[in-house]
Order: sequence, then C-alpha cells, then structure tokens
Amino acid sequence: MTEPGHLPRLLLTLAGITVLLFLCLPIVIVVPMSFSSASSLEFPPPGFSLRWYQAFFGDTRWLVASGYSIAVALVSSTLALLIGSIAAYGLVRGSFRGRALVESNVMAPLIVPQIVTAVGLYIYFAKLGLLGTLFGLIVGHTVLAIPYVVLVMAVAIRSFDLRIEQVALTLGASWPTMFRRILLPNLAPSAGAAWIFAFVISFDEVVVTIFLAGGIETIPKRMFNELVLQVNPTITAIATLLIGFSIITVGALALLMRGSGTVRKALG
Amino acid sequence: MNSTATAFIRPRRPARLGRLGATGLGFALPVSLFLLVAFDVPVLMMFGWALTSAKGMFAPFVEFFTRPAYIKVILNTLRIAAIATVSCAVLGYVLAYWLRSLSGTARLVALTLVVLPFWVSILVRSYAWIVVLGNNGVVNRALLDLGLASEPVAFLYNDLGVVIGTTNLLLPFLVLPLYAAMIRIDGRILQAAETLGASRWTIFRRIFFPLTVPALAAGMVLVFILTLGFYVTPAILGGGRVPMVANMLDMLINRLPRWELASAISILLLILTLLLHLLYVRLSRQAGN
Repeated sequence: MTEPGHLPRLLLTLAGITVLLFLCLPIVIVVPMSFSSASSLEFPPPGFSLRWYQAFFGDTRWLVASGYSIAVALVSSTLALLIGSIAAYGLVRGSFRGRALVESNVMAPLIVPQIVTAVGLYIYFAKLGLLGTLFGLIVGHTVLAIPYVVLVMAVAIRSFDLRIEQVALTLGASWPTMFRRILLPNLAPSAGAAWIFAFVISFDEVVVTIFLAGGIETIPKRMFNELVLQVNPTITAIATLLIGFSIITVGALALLMRGSGTVRKALG
Repeated sequence: MNSTATAFIRPRRPARLGRLGATGLGFALPVSLFLLVAFDVPVLMMFGWALTSAKGMFAPFVEFFTRPAYIKVILNTLRIAAIATVSCAVLGYVLAYWLRSLSGTARLVALTLVVLPFWVSILVRSYAWIVVLGNNGVVNRALLDLGLASEPVAFLYNDLGVVIGTTNLLLPFLVLPLYAAMIRIDGRILQAAETLGASRWTIFRRIFFPLTVPALAAGMVLVFILTLGFYVTPAILGGGRVPMVANMLDMLINRLPRWELASAISILLLILTLLLHLLYVRLSRQAGN
C-alpha cells in the first residue's frame, strides 16, 4: 500500500513489536531464569548461579532420560529418513495407480490429531504387548516423523532437474551408479535437513510418548510429569539447554539449506 | 564400448527415461507397509472397538452423547478453540501487516523471530507462561508495583491461561501464510485505487482486506484444528481445571480404562478434524498457497 502517515505508521510499528514480543516472551524469560540463584520463580533473578544446571547434570534420572531421548530420536529419525526419502522419490518421479492414496496416507499422521494417534497406538500396542518398550516408542515416533521427511525430500527432488538424471542414464550409467554419483551428492543437504527435522520432532515429542512409554522416561515426558506436579526451577535449565539445542539445529539447517529455499518452501 | 555407443544413439524408452512410472509404487512400498502396520491398522482398530462394544453397536457413542459431563468438555474445547482462533487472527493480522511494511534486514530479523518459536519445544513455551503469569510472575509483579492491582490476578489455571498459551503457540501457523498472501498482492492494484481517489482506509477495507481473507480464513481453520487436539498446554496452564477433549481421552485411557469410549470420542474428533481439514485445503487453494 502507499506510505501511511506518521501517526498510523508509529501505531503499526508499536503494535507489531508488541505482538512479536508476546510471541518471543517465553524464550526471553526462561533463559535468564535458568541462571537464577533463587529457588522460587522470581523475575528478574536476584543473583547469578549455575545451581539448576548442577541439579540437572547431578541427577541420574535426568541423564537417563536424556539418553533415552537421544537414542529414540536417533533411531526413529534415521528410519523415517530412509523409508521417507525413498517414498518421496517414488511419489515425485513415479506415476502409478493409487499415487494420491499413498500420498494422503504418508501425510495422514500430520493431519490426524496426535492425541488420536496416541489413543489408537496405545490400544494397539496394549494388545501386542509393546507398551512401555523402546521398540514401540521408536515405531510411534517414526510414524510422526515420516510426513516431515517426505515433505522436505519431495520439495528437494521436485526442484532437482529430471534431465540431469536422464543425461546420466543416457550416457550409460546404470540406475545405481546414477543414484550414487548424481542423486546422493545433490540431495544430501536436503536429506540432512530432513533428518534434523525428524530428530527434533522425536526429541520434543510429548503426547504419544506419554501414552506409549510406560516406565521409560524421555526428557519431555519427565518435564511434563514434573510440571504437572510442581514448579521446579531445574526445568528452566533444561529448557535453556533445549533452546540452545534448537538454535544450533536451526543454524545447522540454515547452513545445509544455504542457497536452496527448501526449508522455506516446506514450511510455507 | 560398443554397447555404450548403441545406448547413446538409441536409448531405450527415450520418452520415459528417468521417470519411474509404475515402478514408483515400489519406492513407496516400504513406507506404505510401515504406515499400514503402525498407523492405519491402529486407527481402524479404534472403529472396531467403538462399534463392537459388549453393550451394543453404537453404545459408546450413545453414552457419550447422553452424558452431560462429556458434552460439557466438548463444548469447553470448542469454546477455547474459538477464542484462541479469534485472538490469533487479530494478533496475527497486525503482525503480518507490520511485517509487510518492513524491508531488508528488519524484515529478515522479524521473520526469524516469528519462525524461531517453532523450534522450541511446546513444553518449554507452555512452561514459560507459568513464570510470566504466575502469582509471583513478571506480569503480576508489575501490576502490583504499579498499583494497578491490589492482589495477584489469577491468569493461570483457568481459561485465560490456556487461551494465552495456545494463542502464543499457534500464532506462527497463522502469521506465515497470511504474510505470504499479503506480499503477493499486486501493489499496482492499490496504486490504481489511490489514483482513482480512494482514501487509505477505503483501500484497506475494499481492496487489501478482501484479498487477504482466504489466507486469513485458512490460517484460522488451521489454528482451530490444532487447538482441538491440544493436550500439553491445557494440562500445564489449565492445571486440570480446564478439561479439553485430549485430557479427557488421557483420563479414559490411563486412569479408568474405558477403551471403547475413548475410541468413540477419538473417532468423532478424527472426523471433525478431517472435515475441517478439507475446508482448510480448499481455503488455502483459494489463497494460492
């Protein structure tokens, strides 16, 4: 639109910044709180200390939960990346009967409310005796991560010129050679991004985990259980570590995606 | 050597080379089998549970619809979802409109700040509101110090807390597509209106706003769908006093095992979500996303 006048312009800026602050407030508040010396949730913190980080790293239960979180996220994101990428390639380059059906099925875990998936898997796993097993938890997380992998990889494959593959094949390369020498190096950054996406989805997952994990504690599950019971400042330290972890992942993603708009396209 | 040359001169299936055609199905097979066993069957089994309960074919559905306690939770969920949707729409429109007026670095920084919360766990973001809005929290401290309140205002463990938390979590889902729709608007249309003598307000009301309605509506439907299934935020910021559908399902599964009833409610939630999702797809297509 044309340039608004000075006063409306000022009001708009103020309103915009207020909403942006509202959006970022949780992150802005939690980080300083984690360095507080007080055991209540006072803000601003009365003094600086690392006691909540010590409390986290000194508690075996939190460390065990971290171990489970990382293990489940590693396995489920890798599995989702493998079968999801292959499927994305088939969906983009193939034209077969039932393609739309396969596509909707792959996207379904994203659309179906997680709580419904959680209830369904709970009853199913209860019947199969898989409740409270690492295997069941990994299967559940993989289901949730698959749509993200397929979304990111489909965008990447679609924007990779088919003719480059055709040239390689025309010049006599077998399909496996073409895959190894052409597809793999070109799609590797997107695959890295998709893998990070899937890892974060699993690492942050709460709802399905609460239903399926039984006695296994992951970080989000333990945090949730503590939060419902009482307010414990150790959580601010974990929250800050998680935010730091998120910023590192976003940075890694930005590096991987530099020059290609895959992430933005996938999110938009 | 010879065979390579032949292949070069006369490639087999020249038109379809590199395209998978029907073999594409083979590529999609592993994921399809995995989802069939680990997702489709579990979801379909819920239909089985709900429809073949010992008390009769539709007994769980009948029980659900005739118990005021369950209906109350559903109405509460719909109400919270509606309020959160409207507040997301208002705040989101302001933010997207402001983003559109920015340029260069300022826009990049602001957009990064909008996307950043996506990457921070829902749990962390919900928790932060306890720190901000609690009786000892930042907001109440400020209100008391400024003399605007004589005792702490109860922001938490009620509808207000859940609405604030939900709005905060879902705002980016509405802002990003709305912003995308706003920058797609052809500036020349607005200039033409101005040349023809329309006031700034008229241009906004009659041209700019109507062009953003499909994206706004799509974003609102998305926020509504996501709020319907919310579990974590009502549990943390509602403190068990603001029961929503997801928390009720948790109770029916984990506390009093009533699988057939939980299945019936899940199926209803699923159907409602799918219907709304169709509406969402339609609206976003209109918005050109």
